[in-house]
Amino acid sequence: MAVEVIENLKRAVIEYDVEGAASWARKAVAEQIDPLKALDALTISIRQVGDAFGRGELFLPELAAAADAMQSAMPIIEEELKKREVKRKTLGTVVIGTVYGDIHNIGKSMVSTLLVADGFTVHDLGINITADEFIKAINNYKADILAMSALLTITAPEQTKVISALKEMGLRDKVKIMVGGGAITYKFAESIGADGYDPTAPGAVVLAKRLIGIE
Amino acid sequence: MLKGFSRNIKSLEILTDEELAAIHRGTLDVLETTGVTFDHQETLQFFADHGCQVDFNNKRVRMPGWLVEDCLRKVPSSFVLKAREPKNDMKIGGNITYFTNAPGMGTIDLDSWEPVTPTREDNVNAVKVLDSLETVHNIGCYTPYMEIEGVPPAMTMIEGMANKLRMSSKVNQEAYQKDSELFTIKMAQVAETQLIGTVDPSPPMTYDESACKAMYRWIEAGFPVDIGSGAVMGGTGPATIAGSTITNNVELIAGIIFSQLIKPGTAIMVADFVHPMDMRGGHPAFGAVECALHEAMFTQIFRGYGIPTHHWYGFVSAKKMDFQSGYEKSMIALLTAMAGTNLVEIHGAMYGELVWSPVQAVMDEDVVGWIGRFLEGVNVNNETLAIDLIEEVGPIPGFYLNKEHTRKWWKKEHFIPKVADRAAFQEWLRTGKKDIIALAKERTEELIAKHKPKPLTLGQDKEIDEIIEEAMSYYKQKGLI
Repeated sequence: MAVEVIENLKRAVIEYDVEGAASWARKAVAEQIDPLKALDALTISIRQVGDAFGRGELFLPELAAAADAMQSAMPIIEEELKKREVKRKTLGTVVIGTVYGDIHNIGKSMVSTLLVADGFTVHDLGINITADEFIKAINNYKADILAMSALLTITAPEQTKVISALKEMGLRDKVKIMVGGGAITYKFAESIGADGYDPTAPGAVVLAKRLIGIE
Repeated sequence: MLKGFSRNIKSLEILTDEELAAIHRGTLDVLETTGVTFDHQETLQFFADHGCQVDFNNKRVRMPGWLVEDCLRKVPSSFVLKAREPKNDMKIGGNITYFTNAPGMGTIDLDSWEPVTPTREDNVNAVKVLDSLETVHNIGCYTPYMEIEGVPPAMTMIEGMANKLRMSSKVNQEAYQKDSELFTIKMAQVAETQLIGTVDPSPPMTYDESACKAMYRWIEAGFPVDIGSGAVMGGTGPATIAGSTITNNVELIAGIIFSQLIKPGTAIMVADFVHPMDMRGGHPAFGAVECALHEAMFTQIFRGYGIPTHHWYGFVSAKKMDFQSGYEKSMIALLTAMAGTNLVEIHGAMYGELVWSPVQAVMDEDVVGWIGRFLEGVNVNNETLAIDLIEEVGPIPGFYLNKEHTRKWWKKEHFIPKVADRAAFQEWLRTGKKDIIALAKERTEELIAKHKPKPLTLGQDKEIDEIIEEAMSYYKQKGLI
């Protein structure tokens, strides 16, 4: 029975079945299946979709739909982990968001999905996120990485604000900062004192791993 | 008044009457049922006071069909734009097509093809070149650079506007960021010219606070408003061309209603820059054929409403000036001009809005001349049919080169590109095998060296400097500098 639930959970993500993923996750909890196994099922299938995307077999609409299915199941499993006081394995914790004054969502969400697929714990704060909100989340989740997205460089002062606040609080060395977005360049990343930039979503995952010393 | 190009050909129409009606009905349905978000309290109240159903909690405005139809009728079908010099005034609408430049974040190194942050001098020279080009009828938004070395981001648009007013006496269009319009409006007023004020909804179907404020401010200044929207099909709009036409219509028409409720009869132009999404990278696929289909539909629809249209599609996916960049921009520009758009943005545009080059602008003048010539169509009358002349010349050994008819007509009928390589093959080999880029570089340098824009008066110049100072302290206070 447990095997059936796990397989169905995997299939729901691969088949972009948002409601199915949530309902199989609830079933996993009801049948007292190890939440770590359920979590594995989710990450295995999102990685499978991510890999197919990497090979050029699947495209962004499929990646986004699989991410939605995973996201619908994730909170249910996480709740169970919390209840059982089980810690999940993770490559690291990432706080991600689009900076204040900017409401571009898609690129940031792609990076977020691929980071989850690769085994990061990701807290996606959404769009139009102020410096204070970033700082609060970094503290709350004890983030290893802060990823800030912005389409235009006019938001530079906002990003600089986050970085200065981290310095003031003595946290700058504890968190790696990566930036990305349509008009962002290596030069810009350097100018605001970020640790890294990559122009593509798959590249952002490689960068995240490098920043925290994996691979 | 600038003549632009008269469209003397039948307009390209790709929709049947039934399809047009279905799109119109769909647009009205969405405006009334789904509605549009206006993220600005004052604007929500304003709509509520004018017969719209407003949900203040989720900031949604639903617009009844009768109001939509009523407001569409109030938009003037043409309007005049006042330039610094009367010879540069424009009459937007009807069968006239004008051309304008695109912006870019930076410029490009023509050897390495890498982006470069322009200097203030580059920015001055870029506008100088645009002022000198005959087929640049007005100067566009952010022109041309959105980032200038040594200029704080908050000041780029303001310093940019000062530069545009100093380096050109053509009409300017301008966008808005962080209240920049407060200062650019004043500058235009000092220079005694009108701006085309831009207002951009954010797809899908949202007007943010800055867009709402810009709408009130442009209208208060008495400037025409260009409402432009650009969803990415499959991302911020439906993946289908028809579906993304509905959301785009809804975004534009919601803005039109907003403008006509503020001040009935406000001059409006609408712009469309919907692109398909590149489903590998998530960015817009610039120069795609779907853009041309979208724009042809959009132009047909708004021509039907009697509202002037603006084509915002000069950009390409190509990174170099090459075969791909040539076909991407030319095909879309030609098709949309044939569909009857009133203003085509093209000069200088390269990849996305990321890079811009004056050399590209000089080459684009050839594309514009080519398209403009096509729009003007064919002159058919007794003299151009030349039956008598054909009788006089007869078969070989007769020829036409030495005839008065040829002298009179060839220059009227034949378009001569300014930089394209049209040399005979042997001559081309002998003269250094120059291509269009090499020829355009030479012409660009010459224009920068020789062109003298009409200066502002000393008084105007000083007042504009004062506005720049005022803006500097405004943004310092806001913590943006």
